[in-house]
Amino acid sequence: MERTQRPRRGAYMNPYVAGIMLGVTLLGSFLTLGAGLGASGGIARAAAYLERLADPARVEASAYFGAWGPRPLRYYLVFMLGGVFLGGALSAFTARRFSLRLERGRACSVSRRVLSAFAGGVLAGWASRLASGCTSGQALTGGALLLTGSMVFMVCVFAGGYAAARIARGQWDD
Amino acid sequence: MIETCFEAGLLDSTRAFALAALIGVFFGFFLEAAGFGSSRRLSGIFYFRDMAVIKVIFTALITAMLGLAYLEAFGWVRTEGLHLLPTVYGAQVVGGLVFGVGFVLGGWCPGTAAAGCVSGKLDALVFLAGALAGSMLFNETYETVAPLLSTGDRGVRFVYDSLGVPKSIFIFAFTTVAVLSFWTAEYLERRVAGRGRYLFSPFLTIFSLCLLLVAWAFSLALPPTAGTEASLLAAIEEGEDHIEPEELADRLLAGEAELFLADLRPADEYRLFRIRGAENIELQRLPAILAPWKNRGTIVLYSNGMTHPAQARDALSRIGYRNVHILTDGLGGFIARCLKPASLREEPVSPGTAAKISAWRSYFLAR
Repeated sequence: MERTQRPRRGAYMNPYVAGIMLGVTLLGSFLTLGAGLGASGGIARAAAYLERLADPARVEASAYFGAWGPRPLRYYLVFMLGGVFLGGALSAFTARRFSLRLERGRACSVSRRVLSAFAGGVLAGWASRLASGCTSGQALTGGALLLTGSMVFMVCVFAGGYAAARIARGQWDD
Repeated sequence: MIETCFEAGLLDSTRAFALAALIGVFFGFFLEAAGFGSSRRLSGIFYFRDMAVIKVIFTALITAMLGLAYLEAFGWVRTEGLHLLPTVYGAQVVGGLVFGVGFVLGGWCPGTAAAGCVSGKLDALVFLAGALAGSMLFNETYETVAPLLSTGDRGVRFVYDSLGVPKSIFIFAFTTVAVLSFWTAEYLERRVAGRGRYLFSPFLTIFSLCLLLVAWAFSLALPPTAGTEASLLAAIEEGEDHIEPEELADRLLAGEAELFLADLRPADEYRLFRIRGAENIELQRLPAILAPWKNRGTIVLYSNGMTHPAQARDALSRIGYRNVHILTDGLGGFIARCLKPASLREEPVSPGTAAKISAWRSYFLAR
């Protein structure tokens, strides 16, 4: 017999409630750190660290990564990203949503989805460095602070996304 | 008043790292709980099938915005305590457009990919590998794209100042836009995907009314310009809006890069003599020329006396400038207190001061 009081497996939180909780998290970040949320900053620091393992002299001489010094991982956003992994896992496991798979439409090949995800990652990784932030650090954080540039970034993200939506659509065809 | 890690210069301390990790846990937890550990759900917004991104992110943004607005109005936190990213149109327009293409192609953004990765999504792992490569690629292409990082650099700029509307009015209007977008999102979901379960629900109705009420009450709590005027008057009382000639001379001599010195006198007087490093600016062109320096570094205004700089300072304060100072006693004071030779002074001059005066004289009177 099925136990009815358990939440439906995989059921998501009410999006508005989840939004309020994310907003409160962001507010907490403003009040304690004095800075908002961020994710791409941590990824870029990890990239600098990895490249350093291979060729430290090259990283030191480079214009962008070089400025981060010999220990690029000593940065608050690296720790925040670590926390995101942990918190995400906590939620996925408690809601019994963990499942190992490549998410794609049934009509989309594995190689297409992998290539597309990688290319998307490269573009997003590159662009977030240019704009000094991603959807977390610019759009959400800068948006809540009502910064002009962050608002412009957010509008441009949606403009770019909708413009390219057609070529990405096939990934989700069933 | 809360002192933030950023304000205390402790953003690279162990305490900040621990705090950031804890904040990250909550961030990741609610991202995943909202369903952002799924690229299909995230991409849904681009095909009007699943509008969760708009609902969650706009709610988070409005919640934090309203919370911050109230906390600031009650004096719990101040803008100076927050790390504010400057507005650079070139970098943010190009970066935003490219990021958007990456978002729709990959189905992830950096934060959600981290949450997706730990819920077992292999495409999130691939996206993160791509983002690492993209960051390295940026480092390699840095010299080429560097011009974009200064194209349209406006310094720290608030959108209500850019639009020329009072903050409280903007907050109410923006909240209204958010509420309308929630209802539109629910409507689109019902039309396109046969869902939109919150459309006309008591929950969404009450939530919408609460947001509007809180935003509207803020405009009552804070009359449109009272905040600016009150902080300006407080700064004047504390003398924070002044800079003493000796301090200015020392900072110019030290070659401080974040110091902008504006000479407000007529151009012919400027040509005859000026404080070294000053730029001659007509009063009505001040906002346009000072824009890149807005709330970044220190802006110092001077003229012969103090009336014009003080009036200009007040005008700039009303359009959001918080870093404008006026030179105490004007150019006359600067000459009398810094450049007048020690031997000609009526009051006794200590050897230390005499050495300073001679250093200032050789720097500011050099031809």
